[in-house]
Amino acid sequence: MTVGETNEYAAPDGLAALDGPFTTRQLLRLDEALRVADRQTGLTFSVYMGDLEEPVRAHAEQLHKQLDGADRAVLIAVSPNQRVLEIVTGNEARKRISDRDAKLAALSMAASFAGGDLAGGVLSGLDQLATHAGRS
Amino acid sequence: MGALTLSVLSTLLVFVVIPVGAIAVIGGLAYAGGERGRRHRRYRPGRQFDFQPIWFLAAPEKVAASPDGGAPSDGARGSHAVERREQAAIGSGVIEDSSGARVLPGPTGGASDRW
Repeated sequence: MTVGETNEYAAPDGLAALDGPFTTRQLLRLDEALRVADRQTGLTFSVYMGDLEEPVRAHAEQLHKQLDGADRAVLIAVSPNQRVLEIVTGNEARKRISDRDAKLAALSMAASFAGGDLAGGVLSGLDQLATHAGRS
Repeated sequence: MGALTLSVLSTLLVFVVIPVGAIAVIGGLAYAGGERGRRHRRYRPGRQFDFQPIWFLAAPEKVAASPDGGAPSDGARGSHAVERREQAAIGSGVIEDSSGARVLPGPTGGASDRW
């Protein structure tokens, strides 16, 4: 259950994450952040990083649907090439994380991404979303 | 004088061979330990981001098979995911459309941004 284990978008050996834009230390922090956020809120947080097809929002929602228990899931989809960021909250998750809270998190993430800090942006976004969701 | 006499050989050894050896060892270590190839891995806004798409999840088994028709790429985990999805669909009465994509009971929320 590490962040290196990914779905069909990456090589099945689970080491694909090491070829990504993140250092090992960043991957570990991301893994920890995801696990803490999941445990504290009872929601399922996930982060997708890669190109999104147009229309971007629809593609992000489609990815979100693939998650088990999608209505309690929160997907952060980041496309560095298109410089687009989408946060998709499921039906249940939306009651805990209002769209305004999501927008706030998106703003701070975009600020980090504009500075070239992918990992830092994702971490702060996760933290904000989990804080807004509160404890389960 | 006569206090210190060095032969040509020992002069060369002390003043040339040893310093060059030390420089070679330190330089070699620095070259081997450097993070070459990592520098360009960093994302910089405006530059091409040509990494494979990747999906981070605390519990990877929670991702169902891709809804656009295909089982995920080969491998045991992929077939396992399909199996799980079928079981879940039977067990919990999840509604699926003709292509197998799950139909959500309600709208999704969230936010978008650009940078």
